[in-house]
Amino acid sequence: MSLSNEVCKTLAFTYRNFIITKRNFFTIFETLFWPVLGLISVGLMGMYLNLEQGYFAFILIGAVTLSVLQVSQLDVAYVLLFDIWSKSLRYTFVSPISSWNMILGSWLFGITRGIVAFAILFFSSMIFFGLNLLIPPPFLILFLFGVFLSAMIIGLITCSLLLIFGYRAEIFAWTLSAIFMLVCGIYYPVSLLPEVVRFISYLIPLTHFLEYYRSFYGFETSFENPLLLGYVLALLQVLFLFFLYFWAFDRARSRGTITQFSE
Amino acid sequence: MHAVVCEDVWMIYKSLKSEKIALKGINLKIPKGKIFGLLGPNGAGKTTLISIMATILKQTRGRVEVLGFDSVRDAKEIRKRINIASGNPNLIWSLTVYENLRYYAMLYGVRDRRVVENLIDEFELREFRDVEFNRLSTGNKQKLLLARAFVNDPELVFLDEPTKGLDPPVAKRLREKIADMQRDLGISVVLTTHYMSEAEMLCERIAFINRGEIVANGSKEELKRMLKMKDKITIEIDAEISMQLPSLEGVYMVERDGKSLSFYVDSAERRLWDVASEVAKLGRIKNIVVREVDLEDVFNELVK
Repeated sequence: MSLSNEVCKTLAFTYRNFIITKRNFFTIFETLFWPVLGLISVGLMGMYLNLEQGYFAFILIGAVTLSVLQVSQLDVAYVLLFDIWSKSLRYTFVSPISSWNMILGSWLFGITRGIVAFAILFFSSMIFFGLNLLIPPPFLILFLFGVFLSAMIIGLITCSLLLIFGYRAEIFAWTLSAIFMLVCGIYYPVSLLPEVVRFISYLIPLTHFLEYYRSFYGFETSFENPLLLGYVLALLQVLFLFFLYFWAFDRARSRGTITQFSE
Repeated sequence: MHAVVCEDVWMIYKSLKSEKIALKGINLKIPKGKIFGLLGPNGAGKTTLISIMATILKQTRGRVEVLGFDSVRDAKEIRKRINIASGNPNLIWSLTVYENLRYYAMLYGVRDRRVVENLIDEFELREFRDVEFNRLSTGNKQKLLLARAFVNDPELVFLDEPTKGLDPPVAKRLREKIADMQRDLGISVVLTTHYMSEAEMLCERIAFINRGEIVANGSKEELKRMLKMKDKITIEIDAEISMQLPSLEGVYMVERDGKSLSFYVDSAERRLWDVASEVAKLGRIKNIVVREVDLEDVFNELVK
């Protein structure tokens, strides 16, 4: 296994996602239009409620995180869907790639789109609401990388569900991130949630990344070191989900799901 | 050494509600460096078998060896050395000819862009280089799919009904291209097809598959001999045929179609007089055609 070959195979998915995004007006809309629209509507609501600066930052961070997560997870979630929609899945799976080439390559482009979305939202919140969401850059990078890991988690779940349940599971590509954000405390602290839901939210790394970002605006965190906890949870879940994906892929090969996707 | 060896291969598609047996104990050896045909009616199991050989599917039972590698244990090694093209021309819609080839070349770790440009020339796609896949004609889509199958310089190529739905002249050119590529590169090709003429033109050896089982396997001549049918005599008379004919020596099969009868015989030279004499009792003979049995006749007999 040569490293340069593996890099080339991984970048194939980055290249493909880039070209598809470039050609597709809808995906440009996903990166630019909806995130900005979401930010403005939440911001206007905050102005109407006459929120203090800290609380205003609290809800805008929620809106920004939701958009960045949504945009960056789509690339991973779509990595199988692009092939399924064009009925070309067999040509991807007949090549000597590993699952991680596929996920990592698409995730790299998801990160790029996520950074673009974050930059747009960052400047939009400054321009429209005079709010500076900048925290010291190293901490901001750590926060964003945590969000991107969460995007990979959602993408991996969607891909695994597609291989297990077929076309029906494509709905998760658009809904999972919203469900995640609901449980993670998008516009409210998780302490507000019922105990059972709160327990689930603590298992989701994004909860801790959100609390970490908000801690720079004076909000308390549920645990002492939310960043470390978030990363430990994220890495464990990514590992587990890769195993789930391998299992789902093997199952799809045995059951013939892969050829059904190509017919 | 064989390109592919299948030993007692079973494939059972399982879902929550049902089970469908697609392959029932396939035993098959495909020689290296030749074009091998896999023929059978719709739903016979051709695509399933080819997908297992190409490691896209995993068999329920049995063993498949491709280029000396085990299809389950060494799937990745096999994938480096093989490729596939299907008759359903589907690739990523919004990518151009060049981008599609570049993407698939990258999946094999091929970084050299000249490989892609050479394939574009080789498959006469130069003027469509920057045209998106969904804007190509069916013939050019099929050419692109074939070109894609050569991005990794494979030792073995699976072609699953590669000329399906193409106009006859385009299909003919594509068949010639397949034959040229096989001859020039010395690769092994496994071809599934509905078109008997295609198999007859391209394949050196052929296996017939029906309802998940190999029903015959051999060279074209061996298959015809196996069924002992050598010639076909077709006689047209001036009346509708309703009577049963007595069984005649050397006649293996009789087909009735309106006012004509077709006899599959061991030798037209020896049987023509007897056959014509019997038919003459049914009506006045208008026309007699004698020709050699072709693969289509063998196929029709085998799938009965």
